[in-house]
Amino acid sequence: MPIRIGESSSSLQERVEEACSVDLSQCYECGKCSGGCSTTHLMDYTPRKIIQLIKLGYCDILYNSDALWLCVGCHLCVDRCPAQIDIPRIVDYLREQAYQQGIKPTREQVVTFNALMLGSVFKRGRVSEATLMLQFNLRTRRYFKDAQLGTKMLVKGKVNPFVPGVKGTRELRRLFRGKPAGKER
Amino acid sequence: MEVAYYPGCSLHSAAREYDMSTRLVCRHLGISLKEIKDWNCCGATAAHSLDHLLAVSLGARNLALLDGMKMTRVTSPCANCYSRLKAAAHELQHDEILKTEVERILEAPVPCGVEVLSLLEMFVTQVGIDTIAENVSKPLKGMKLAAYYGCLLTRPSRISGFDDPEQPVSMDRLLEGLGAETVDWSHKAECCGAGFTAAEVGIVLDLGGQVLEAARQAGAEALVVACPMCQLNLDTRQGAIEANRGTRYDLPVMYFTQLMGLAFGYSPRVLGLKRLLTSPFPLLKTKGLL
Ligand code: SF4
Ligand code: SF4
Repeated sequence: MPIRIGESSSSLQERVEEACSVDLSQCYECGKCSGGCSTTHLMDYTPRKIIQLIKLGYCDILYNSDALWLCVGCHLCVDRCPAQIDIPRIVDYLREQAYQQGIKPTREQVVTFNALMLGSVFKRGRVSEATLMLQFNLRTRRYFKDAQLGTKMLVKGKVNPFVPGVKGTRELRRLFRGKPAGKER
Repeated sequence: MEVAYYPGCSLHSAAREYDMSTRLVCRHLGISLKEIKDWNCCGATAAHSLDHLLAVSLGARNLALLDGMKMTRVTSPCANCYSRLKAAAHELQHDEILKTEVERILEAPVPCGVEVLSLLEMFVTQVGIDTIAENVSKPLKGMKLAAYYGCLLTRPSRISGFDDPEQPVSMDRLLEGLGAETVDWSHKAECCGAGFTAAEVGIVLDLGGQVLEAARQAGAEALVVACPMCQLNLDTRQGAIEANRGTRYDLPVMYFTQLMGLAFGYSPRVLGLKRLLTSPFPLLKTKGLL
């Protein structure tokens, strides 16, 4: 049962539980998730605190938190959690909500990169790393970022902008359900 | 043995050597890889962090294509692709409502019960380390290797169901089967931060740096990986990590399939060993493996 401080507090927990198939009332608040987390030392709110903030209904804090964009999805937390609470799935859910609501992420480049990548999937069904990096550097106006590294990779034949795309693009684009992909918000 | 093959985008571009060496050692072991026709990108971190339904749908399309090939078992050498495909298969199997919705979007039925295996898992569970060891003609004697699994090969354990989530041993056993020595170390299955390799280089230098440092402290002469993202990250960012930490690592980061190929007697050229940024050649030379 969610803690009922106000209507909003219960509804966030319920929405998270429903969307992510988790039961947050099972959380022992033991902190094993935070102890194992790969980026806990960088986060403003650790995984354990994220669970607590959901229970208390603090949408705003969560959607604006840096932790959302620092989770690397390594699944250490869920594998250590005695209640098997799927924290990476919860973080994904919160990210998606924040993104859809147009909330400015603390790590804009992360979102720019992900959106550009989805843009490429939308267009061609596949991603060419070289093209994606180039687009990313242009979009973030870092024209010379990694130029030296790029040259080294070129020499090693690791840059291949000509990755063939999929044939069934029309069918593939349906999967995006009319949502814009790869557009800067 | 016949198995469907999902290479993923990296293996067609930056990680072509992983594709080359995979195909070579599979052929050597009598495994026939059938590439999924018209497969699409798994969406990687981008899809699952911005649009969950899209992430599952991208996996579902690949699974549906597999059905068209009348195959029920698929392997992917990329840990990220493997993890996305397996997660999609798992969710679709356990969530009827989601499955119905995805099938409506895809306008095609999604098969149930597809077996998704990482390439490492396929070798270890379907071929067996003993059989692999029997194929060794040039043992990797004297090589001290750090088997690096990264985060997606064994986790989440509830879905992957393969090896130990934090202290895996399968790749170590395989490398030992090839005649190499493996080191005991702390960062086998820690994250190298590859998802941030372009967007947040600071995190990569931090997490990747910890991995390289742990391998060095354990006395490893090279890292062995089973993921193109780990490889690219630890190899191409190694120079920046060295500058950042003020330590010279000079640790080659090789694919486990390249080492299998070497031990099976193939030349470094056909295994694409020249394509690695941190050259493994000085090391291979001192071990008499060239
Ligand atoms: S490990 Fe699980 S039970 Fe413990 S605090 Fe974290 S989410 Fe709660
Ligand atoms: S999945 Fe995210 S929250 Fe969980 S341990 Fe990894 S980085 Fe931390």
